[in-house]
Amino acid sequence: MHIEDGILSPQACATWYAAATVFVVPGIYEIKRRIRDNLAYKPFLAMVGVAVFVISAMHLPVPVTGSCSHPCGTTLAAIIVGPFASVVISAIVLFFQAVFLGHGGITTIGANTFSMGIAGALTGYLLWKGLRALHCPLWLAAGVAGLVGDLMTYFVSAFELAWSLHGNVPLWRQCLIFFMGYAPTQVPLAIAEAVFTVAVLQAMLSRRPDLLRGVLAKKGA
Amino acid sequence: MSASIDRIDPAADTRFFDGYTRVMLSVMFVILMFIFASGKYMSAHKMEATGTDDKVNNLATQVTRGEHHPFIDLPGDAQVGAFSIANFFAGLIVGHHWTRLFGTRKVARDEEKDA
Repeated sequence: MHIEDGILSPQACATWYAAATVFVVPGIYEIKRRIRDNLAYKPFLAMVGVAVFVISAMHLPVPVTGSCSHPCGTTLAAIIVGPFASVVISAIVLFFQAVFLGHGGITTIGANTFSMGIAGALTGYLLWKGLRALHCPLWLAAGVAGLVGDLMTYFVSAFELAWSLHGNVPLWRQCLIFFMGYAPTQVPLAIAEAVFTVAVLQAMLSRRPDLLRGVLAKKGA
Repeated sequence: MSASIDRIDPAADTRFFDGYTRVMLSVMFVILMFIFASGKYMSAHKMEATGTDDKVNNLATQVTRGEHHPFIDLPGDAQVGAFSIANFFAGLIVGHHWTRLFGTRKVARDEEKDA
């Protein structure tokens, strides 16, 4: 989902920057508010940012398709540090990946933030909240959130590319063409991300439940 | 300071190969084995093992009919050098502002008050 420089039109880049800003601003306020309540939130947020940086740069080979791709980790971040805070984390992570790893682009930070930090993370977060509200067990809610959040990230990336480049081809057709470029490799990784999201939340629940204050609806769920 | 050193149990302090470490090492080895096995398989079947992001970006480039380049691009290991330099100074600056960013420990504050 790391769209590189020179692919999207300048208008598209500006649009996605503006769209991402709409979510980054409340994210900054959410972080400030949470830090006022709990100073320990700040180093915790920094560590989650590091985790997202590593996870979203960790290319895993998928032998079935003969290519490599990476999970995102933003659904997990949205669940444990908050949905809008994870948008800020994603923007920072994508900036550093673009500047120092050549992964993604500077002009496309807005588009990449929108796909990874907003569409993927918020979809996963909403699914998590919805399934927990329906009294689903943690493994199911976290697993579905991780799986769908990952796939949604790549679907929105495909949409961003198609929206800018579809020309005379119908938008949804072009979108599906790009998504089918991602999907064969990404589906196994989305399953892996689902397992990873469940494992991390279960481990945090058993070892450090104090870090999940306000995350779980019921104590000991 | 000496009182706090006295409280450390040397036997407990050197048991670093605990359950958590064993689980983490096991998970790491399983993932690494998967990566090596996948790499071997892809190499044997002459698969390129390139990134999916690159594949789709190149597919998109066919639509735009123009090559795409990173906004900032450094050759070879210069990129690693730039990353290391930036990390080094970022670490120094964050360390310099550590207490301002993350606050002081309660024990340190109490000691300051006593002094």
